[in-house]
Amino acid sequence: MRIKTTREQRILYFKTIFRWILYYVLIFVSFIVMTSGTWLKPVLLVPIALAIAINNNQYGSVVTGAICGFLIDIACGKLFGYNAVILAFFCIVVSLLFELYLRNKFVNYMLITAAVSYIQCRLDYRFYYKIWNYDNVERIFRKYTLRIWIYTVISAVFIYLVIKLINHFLMPKNHLTIEEVITTKTQQNQ
Amino acid sequence: MREFLKSTRFKILLAFLAFLVGIMIYAVTKGGYSVSGASFINTATKPFRKVSNKISMRFEHKIDKINNADKYYNENEELKKEIGILNSQLTEYEALKTEVEELRKFVSIKEEHEDYVLSVPCDVLGYVANDPFRSFTIDKGSADDIKPNCPVVTAEGLVGITIEVSEHVSTVRTILSPDLTIAAVCSSSNADYGIIEGSVMEAEKGYTKLSHLSLKNKLKPGDLMITTGTSGLFPKDYSIGKIKSIDYDTSGLSMCAEIEPCIDITRLTSVIVITDFSGKKEDD
Repeated sequence: MRIKTTREQRILYFKTIFRWILYYVLIFVSFIVMTSGTWLKPVLLVPIALAIAINNNQYGSVVTGAICGFLIDIACGKLFGYNAVILAFFCIVVSLLFELYLRNKFVNYMLITAAVSYIQCRLDYRFYYKIWNYDNVERIFRKYTLRIWIYTVISAVFIYLVIKLINHFLMPKNHLTIEEVITTKTQQNQ
Repeated sequence: MREFLKSTRFKILLAFLAFLVGIMIYAVTKGGYSVSGASFINTATKPFRKVSNKISMRFEHKIDKINNADKYYNENEELKKEIGILNSQLTEYEALKTEVEELRKFVSIKEEHEDYVLSVPCDVLGYVANDPFRSFTIDKGSADDIKPNCPVVTAEGLVGITIEVSEHVSTVRTILSPDLTIAAVCSSSNADYGIIEGSVMEAEKGYTKLSHLSLKNKLKPGDLMITTGTSGLFPKDYSIGKIKSIDYDTSGLSMCAEIEPCIDITRLTSVIVITDFSGKKEDD
């Protein structure tokens, strides 16, 4: 049982809602950036979905992953739901990994983001270009897919910082349970 | 007084006044040019007057600024507001001008091809992110009678085809894409046929590719390729692009050419959709 007063609960409730609003504002802004202009752009929504996944439970992660995926599909003109499936899956995996095995560290996040965005880019290349066997299709991989992946990994640094900032102020801190307090006291006395 | 009038002093003064009147009359006869004395004085004093004028003007400005600071501040604020209004009017005017120019071009399409049923002009919402073949979305959809597989054009030439249509937004596949093939013929000879089909290499340059040309073709760089209209997907005789260069195909059994589209597909702002035309293949 957690020690929380009604006031604390209200603050926690407010902070959680505000945090998620900021997450979705960030998602919306990234989507707008992705749909503007003609230059090659990073797939910003992948690192965002993963950054949210490493800090939240699986339910929130999977929904956010799916929404980000749908937005990627719209922005990149892919089959609606294609990236949603991929990203929702990876968000669950990443959320579990960070809950059970990995520590919430920048290096871990970067490695996971690099791996997931590479898989996402690679699958995109395979299903949208390679499979159709266009002439010089490898050129698309070299000139587009790899560049997009690199841009995405670089953008992940900034996204991590933004999410970290949001979490720093709005992520509720775990309260000690009565049992934990007693255990800690006992250990100190010994 | 009578003594003064009779004195030599008075006569000298009178003579001097007469001399001055004489100079004045002489100056009048010079037709706008200074008399030599005045000219000399002007020239000699010019640098001093310049410097002193500068100093005094600065000084006056400073004083004027201090004295009328409030007045100038209010005036400045009012002018800023005015500039803001004028800027917004100018932006509106520029937008209207562009729109009118676009509409004029589209009217010319209708005048040239009476059988076309055209959509209202569509604004390009944006290019599909990271697409090598420059697909883009437009701000009109099924609510504006646009269906999938409708040709998308500008007054200059063919742009592509609608592939995905929702109520208010449609996605357009361009002629740079290898997934779109169009039968084309040379407009001047009306004899050399080929297939327009995008390729990875050409799309990078904003060009498309004409393949399956006969080895005996008489095409040359600069020739305009137009649609044949045989597939029923595209109207007949619509400009596609000009030949940049011709070469043998990789197999050597036919020839291919690099085609520069009539319009820069990478920089589109508005297009029009041909929703119907004579010879259109009806959907099953």
